[in-house]
Amino acid sequence: MSDEHNVRGFKVRLDRAYHLDFHLWVQSSEGDSVRIGMDPLGLETSGTLSQLEFAAVGTIVARGEPFGTLEAEKFVGPIRSPLSGMIVASNAEAMASPGICERDPYGEGWFVELTPFDFDGERDQLTEGTVTLVAAFAAKVDDYRRQGVLAE
Amino acid sequence: MTVWRYLAARNVGGAEGLAFDEALMAGHGRGQQAAPVLRLYTYASHVALCGRYQHIEAELNIDACRRTGTEIGRRPTGGGAIVMGVGQLGVAVVTNAPTTMRPKDLLEQFSLGIVCGLAKLGIDARFSGKNDLKVDGRKIAGLGLYLDGTGALLFHSSILADLDIPFMLEVLDVPAAKLGAAGPAAVAERITTVSRETREPCTGDTIRDAVALGFCEALAIELAESTPTDTEVRDAADLVTGKYATDEWRFQRSPQADANSSSMVKTPGGLVRVYVALQGDTIKSAMFTGDFNEMPAPLAEYESALKWARADPDALTALARRSCGHDTGLGVPPEQLADAVWQAAAQAMEHGVAAPLIEGSCYFPESGEVVPGEVSA
Repeated sequence: MSDEHNVRGFKVRLDRAYHLDFHLWVQSSEGDSVRIGMDPLGLETSGTLSQLEFAAVGTIVARGEPFGTLEAEKFVGPIRSPLSGMIVASNAEAMASPGICERDPYGEGWFVELTPFDFDGERDQLTEGTVTLVAAFAAKVDDYRRQGVLAE
Repeated sequence: MTVWRYLAARNVGGAEGLAFDEALMAGHGRGQQAAPVLRLYTYASHVALCGRYQHIEAELNIDACRRTGTEIGRRPTGGGAIVMGVGQLGVAVVTNAPTTMRPKDLLEQFSLGIVCGLAKLGIDARFSGKNDLKVDGRKIAGLGLYLDGTGALLFHSSILADLDIPFMLEVLDVPAAKLGAAGPAAVAERITTVSRETREPCTGDTIRDAVALGFCEALAIELAESTPTDTEVRDAADLVTGKYATDEWRFQRSPQADANSSSMVKTPGGLVRVYVALQGDTIKSAMFTGDFNEMPAPLAEYESALKWARADPDALTALARRSCGHDTGLGVPPEQLADAVWQAAAQAMEHGVAAPLIEGSCYFPESGEVVPGEVSA
């Protein structure tokens, strides 16, 4: 696929922005909303996802606050929002079968849709653009490998 | 040397014990400077605790819990259902979540304190699989991790100082509970206790000091004995009434359906049966039974690895090869075992919420009898 790069062994879609610390991608969706899902590096470092729970539609979240919770290999932790906004949709199929997030992280495995309150203002916290994104993603993978978070 | 706060408690209630652990998290997280906390405590006998997203009705025998006065609770951490009481030592570590470590690495790091503590009792326990401590392949402690939205971390463990297996099988709705008279032996093959390993009767209280010492040595820390602050006591009381003792928390339902099924594998030594329990597309437990005196080590390894694995044929095959190598110990290739697991899992997923298994003899039907939810591989 032309908009997909292999970066240090991970598939990275270039048609969206990323919050590389939260391991989430953000893609413009219909209307004013964005779709959010987990990137392959996040999936790799979390381990097998066994549970996903998302905030109810209508919930307002601030950037950095949790919009959901995941359980992966007995670790339960928050999924922190890359943007401030209101949840307008959540992926019931992903909650019922988290395996689809691993099989199709950029497609059917999306998490939620959110209407951002200040997308332009918060966008600088995201990483996007082919050159910048590929370099930043590679640096993240290298960093994790140096720390032993990822196997060589 | 880093100084940790140390709290000890005995005979705490189920909701109270969980609430206090969460209350301790308030002083931790991003930008907070509170000292890490180690809490070693026992619950009043007995409390049945299921994991964060489990369905209580599928994991516990509610009637038996009521009949025996067993309190029912839900942990903030993941994993499976457990029974806690004076025979088990609860371990809680509360600190800031480091951003540079995987959850699995954090589990391993904190488990070193328990490993070291058990070593002081003459027990050689090791981290095994995703989140267990085992002694010669038998589980002696379970581990779990919860990170909240503020960056605070709660590490939980339950150490089996001792265990009343028949009682556990009465209140937990685990596959071995359906094995009837064979159930306790099946559990004993997979679980051990400090009492069993040391041949001395032990309780959570009697192993507490060894575990505390283990944390000091393994993590190079000092423990400063402490008591709960007024704020922590107040916060914990609020969490009891507002969360842990409420039916909304305890009986909440996950979007994933529970399902179970079984299948059989023909081996040169006879039939081997595999039982799987799923939540959504994740295997929450698996158990092999067959006509063997002792379960072959590769089979035990595979059974253990299946816990919390994805129910996917390729993943199950890869796991079987990794666990068993070329030799399953049964005279059949690992792929055949994986196929049996997949057939059971696929049938369970097809059922969605599976029909209740028949009590008693459903795991050992008369020859030729097929039980609901069973397929042959």
